[in-house]
Amino acid sequence: MIHLFHLYKNFGPNIALSDVNLRVHEGEFVFISGPSGAGKTTLLRLIFGAERPTSGHILINGINLNRISRLKLDLLRRKIGFVFQDFKLLPAKTVFENVALALEVTGERRSLIRKKTRQSLKLVGLVDKEQAYPLELSGGEQQRVAIARAIVKDPLILLADEPTGNLDPDLTKDIMVLFKSIHMKGATVVIATHSRELLEDTEQGKIFLNRGRIFEEKWD
Amino acid sequence: MGLRLWPYFLRQALANIISNRIVHAIGLGTMVVSLLIFCTFLLLLVNLNAWVGEWGHSLTMSVYLQDGISEVGRDNIESVVRSLSGAQIRRFISKERALTEFRRALGSQAGLIDGLSHNPLPASFELVFNEVEGKKVDARGIKQDLEKVEGVEEVHYSEEWLDRFEGLMKMIRLVGFIIGGLLCMGVLFIVMNTIKLTIYSRKEEIEILKLVGATNWFVKIPFMLEGMIQGIMSGALALVILFLAYLIISTERMHFLDLAVFDFIFIPNEYALSIFLLSVSLGLAGSFIAVGRFFKV
Repeated sequence: MIHLFHLYKNFGPNIALSDVNLRVHEGEFVFISGPSGAGKTTLLRLIFGAERPTSGHILINGINLNRISRLKLDLLRRKIGFVFQDFKLLPAKTVFENVALALEVTGERRSLIRKKTRQSLKLVGLVDKEQAYPLELSGGEQQRVAIARAIVKDPLILLADEPTGNLDPDLTKDIMVLFKSIHMKGATVVIATHSRELLEDTEQGKIFLNRGRIFEEKWD
Repeated sequence: MGLRLWPYFLRQALANIISNRIVHAIGLGTMVVSLLIFCTFLLLLVNLNAWVGEWGHSLTMSVYLQDGISEVGRDNIESVVRSLSGAQIRRFISKERALTEFRRALGSQAGLIDGLSHNPLPASFELVFNEVEGKKVDARGIKQDLEKVEGVEEVHYSEEWLDRFEGLMKMIRLVGFIIGGLLCMGVLFIVMNTIKLTIYSRKEEIEILKLVGATNWFVKIPFMLEGMIQGIMSGALALVILFLAYLIISTERMHFLDLAVFDFIFIPNEYALSIFLLSVSLGLAGSFIAVGRFFKV
């Protein structure tokens, strides 16, 4: 499903990723871990096509992102849910509108958009806040809106960048249950985190990054 | 792009206009003023053309004969004149009659010509030309031909100055094209900048839309509709203002150079439609250029 070959990414003189090789199979649940600045976010952004690698190749479902057209990349992104570390919510839109946005771009029927958006908000426990604006919510609630937007389109791949970074332990547990339920539905889930607790409590695959290199992989 | 998305695009475009209403109002105002300048110029040109056309319908001409011309010579000139297409001899004015009419025209000052030893006024034919099958009379050509006929001293036509006016009209038309072109560029520039400002105000939203899988066209179309709506509104507003101004002006009959009384006419419907379509196209083109430069998320 996700295949990385000799991936390098530099930002000017700074090396973000160096010779990263990775294969994540369909339906797997993987954690990418490492200290701040290890390259976790860059790796997720490369998989999402938001960045271009300096060299190397990324294959998603057999499609090489280096050779993909602009339009095909846009269409591919509809199959990938991304939970951004900074949420990327629109402050002028309500919670409902923020989540519905991911379906509106696909041209779905309005009735279906309404139904799926409500389902998604229900899953993250925010159905009673659908008319609130992001700035009226706590950090944890905003995080959950971002997750609701990422899962509303039933993605084949779910990428999450520090999805529990703003949550207390109870909510972290709830969110992880949520990710597992999405995984159980067949989605491939890749979560970047620096939380040791999260990794200790899980039996999923773990990849450790440091200074842009993979130095350990654990697959249970 | 599914038809289902168009209501969304339209909603989005209207929401953009409302949330950036000040920028749009300034853009709209500037566009309306630019179009009004162009429309006013066109209105003036259309009316000048109509007035000149009206004068050209019935051309009058005086053919002055040389002093001492024989009867045969005069008959010859008369037969040449009659052979001219559309020409009609209104009357023949003999030397004596010319003097009598001149004396009458002078009125109380008629005594001034009493001291003349001989009659200096020439005899003349007064001609009227009517358009033949809608073809305009070539007054200058006829004048040149008649002046070549033996016994003809000079030919004057009343609308001789119209020729000079035609030259002026050509100049006005040229200036109109230049002004129109410059104003079109100005309008394009205004739309481009208005749309650019609204794009920048929604930069964050565009980035997020792209990240959740929106195609470039999905993001671009509402902005293009925004430009088109601006074009529709400014075109319609400019024409309405022009029409209201026309209504006010046309209530007064136009007097021009004390020569005649003219009706003031509005620009033809096809011109009005063209201006409206031009405004819409400029709105669309301006927004198209603005969005084209932006999308590289």
